[in-house]
Amino acid sequence: MMRTIEILLVIIIITGAFIIASLFTVLPYPRQVSPIDLRRLALTTLQSLDVDHDLSETVFKPSDAASWTDIKIALSASLPPNIVYNLTVYDVLSGNTQLYNATNSISNAASLGVSTAASSYLVASSNVTFSFTPEKIGEHGSGGTLYILNCSDAYGWWITGYTAQKLAEDLYNLLSPYFQATIMVQNTTQLGNILDNNTISSSPYEKVANAVVINTNGEAVPIPSGYYTVNGSQDSYAKYNYILGQRVRQYNWTWVSIVGYPLYYVSNTALFPNDQNTWGIYGMQQVGPAGLNSFLQGLDNQQYVYNPNWITADLSDSVYLSPEAIYYCNYYGIYPSYYQTASRALTTSILTTYHLDVPTYIFNPAEGYIAGAVYRNAVSGAFLALGLTRTPDIRLTALGLLDYYKPRLYRSDYTTVGTSKLVILQLGQMGGM
Amino acid sequence: MTGATIDHLVSLTVFLAALLLFIGLFNQTIQTAILYQQHRYIASKATDLLDNILLSPGYPTYWGMTNDAPTSFGLQDPEFTQYRVSPFSLMRLRSLTGEPVVYPKTGLTYSNITMGFGDFLLVPYTEAVNYSTVATLVGTNGSYGFQLNMIPVVTVSISEYQSKNPLILAINVSGKGFPLSGAILSYCFLTVSLTEGEQSYPAYTTQFGNAYTDDKGFAFLQFSGVKDEDVSYALIVYAHLSGLVGVGYHQRVTSDKQYVIPLIDDFATRRVLIAHSYDIHYFGPPNAELSYNATFVLLTEDFTLRELPMENSTGKVGKVNYGEGFPYDTITIPTTNPGILIITYRKSANEGGIILMPWGISSMAFTITFGDNMFGREWVATDIREVIVNDVAYQAKLALWSLQSYQVTGR
Repeated sequence: MMRTIEILLVIIIITGAFIIASLFTVLPYPRQVSPIDLRRLALTTLQSLDVDHDLSETVFKPSDAASWTDIKIALSASLPPNIVYNLTVYDVLSGNTQLYNATNSISNAASLGVSTAASSYLVASSNVTFSFTPEKIGEHGSGGTLYILNCSDAYGWWITGYTAQKLAEDLYNLLSPYFQATIMVQNTTQLGNILDNNTISSSPYEKVANAVVINTNGEAVPIPSGYYTVNGSQDSYAKYNYILGQRVRQYNWTWVSIVGYPLYYVSNTALFPNDQNTWGIYGMQQVGPAGLNSFLQGLDNQQYVYNPNWITADLSDSVYLSPEAIYYCNYYGIYPSYYQTASRALTTSILTTYHLDVPTYIFNPAEGYIAGAVYRNAVSGAFLALGLTRTPDIRLTALGLLDYYKPRLYRSDYTTVGTSKLVILQLGQMGGM
Repeated sequence: MTGATIDHLVSLTVFLAALLLFIGLFNQTIQTAILYQQHRYIASKATDLLDNILLSPGYPTYWGMTNDAPTSFGLQDPEFTQYRVSPFSLMRLRSLTGEPVVYPKTGLTYSNITMGFGDFLLVPYTEAVNYSTVATLVGTNGSYGFQLNMIPVVTVSISEYQSKNPLILAINVSGKGFPLSGAILSYCFLTVSLTEGEQSYPAYTTQFGNAYTDDKGFAFLQFSGVKDEDVSYALIVYAHLSGLVGVGYHQRVTSDKQYVIPLIDDFATRRVLIAHSYDIHYFGPPNAELSYNATFVLLTEDFTLRELPMENSTGKVGKVNYGEGFPYDTITIPTTNPGILIITYRKSANEGGIILMPWGISSMAFTITFGDNMFGREWVATDIREVIVNDVAYQAKLALWSLQSYQVTGR
């Protein structure tokens, strides 16, 4: 009998243990087991509301502004029906004690329930301007001079819709902040001067060596009279392009062709008053594909050989900006169309023929051709070619150069006080277990 | 002695019975806790997977705009950050819900994301990304099943309030159970003109305008030019309010038995096939030639619709017929930006209509269901995000379940 009583006592003890254990073993509600991530939902909702900066504009308006009603409607419409919200806007203060001060709050429920989550979102006033100071190319090394060919005595080709002068002006505005000296080459005489290693301005920063030279004349290139005409006239001025390539190598220039087949024509209105480029443009003479071949021979210091073979192709599909170029689009705030038509893409075989490497791809290579890139000779000199169809987009030229030199941008400091507001969206889930 | 033995036997029996009972009770509690833990893990996995899909563009980055199969899966728009989804990557997902369409003239089966008569989106299986490929790429193959739903946040429904003289269309704009009052509406109204004679291509007129919804989210648009019920027309409406953008569309056609059907042929070159509906629905004969006239509209940054004319060389007009000896036509979308391909067609001197096809899923706010069927699964965890697809607000909802058994007992 005693044992039975003892067993009953044991059962009572185990029962007590089970009851006590069960009290502590509180299983969560299904909603807690598999919750909607309210914090993420709040953040993505705020981002959706601000996709066209409507939220950013509204939070800086008084609480009785009509746009607050729109925000309320948009919030109620975008959230699931069982989700309630509270949106509070805070001013960012500069005081030592209180950092944030609530300025307005909207909600669609008296209480958000026991389980809520919130996300914060910092918005800047549309009136705030941010500035930056670019690092100058050549500031910490050699070079730093940008020559833009703006020759009044030369015409352009394949720059339809523009003049070389207009393109030069736009390039100046776009690129001059990044160079220590930006010099407009006003005529072919000045071009002859820099080809002869003479400076053409009073700027103390102008240096011929290691400069960048942008040819704004499209498929044509200005030719100075005198030495370059006399010695460069061989093979319809293909020899001039050879000399040009030699100069690029000699001075370690970066020569830039903005559109089409580089160096296909030479232009000088005084030299060729009665010659035309076969398309009716006088003051210009056709060199043909030999121009680019000669230039690359000169760049690689090879023996001059007349070579009239085409080295470009008309690509059937669009070409797309390289990932690196897309990154620098965002970095420098230059946004050309990310796909283009390339009818003068250069063959990759020139890389081995002329000892070039490609430090910067502007477009992804396609079908064995490169639509836009900077080619650097193994010894000295570089060549940026954009083998795109007209009309030129000089933003691509700027992007290619900046991608190649990578000057840093020093953002100006700014304070969030008075220019930013903190928006907190708190969500609660109603109903259900 | 006997009494002690009986006492011993009774006490031992009771003790063992009680012990087994309590082991069972404790075991049940532990099993339930483990089950909850596993469910919790599935919920975390759902959250992670949804973010992984929405916050990565995949690789190649622009796979949605090419014919390439992705080697890494993600739906983020490569030109943006955060929760912005590519309208083209979504277009390449093979629909779970739409009945596949077979087109004998190409010999291909097409994923069907059609939203109703006249609103087609048919993508060849050879170009569409299927579920098993994606499951492998995201690492859930064999361990988890999932279903992804992309649902527009804003619903714009259009109905005929008065059919003629003048035509009045009622537009209702609502969010998730809440009307969008004061929303700005930008619309494009197209009417088909068949008066040029039976052999000519159908002409169309476009009319653009703006309106506002009232307190209940309604707006009424009146078109006094529509005086008869046999006028075919289409209305495309974009509604926007504080960052929320929705799209609605409505058509009336006078020939709903014979019409043209656009089928996507090539994403990279933006080529679309124009097929005769008899070739797909196996009607006829007799042969019935249809002439068509295509155009393209874009949603601009200020939320107005802009017509982008197509060149004749890209297949602006043409004629298609049913049966052998009558090949399909092709047209080329004139831009890589999202928009709506609008094809007016004529069957006879007084029968015709309009067909719409989105180029980029968001242009017509199509809903996409991608993945596996969740019916009958033991525990399905879901998570949602608000996302932007080319400025149109969508809700991305992911449902995830385990393909392995959860039961602790009898596992």
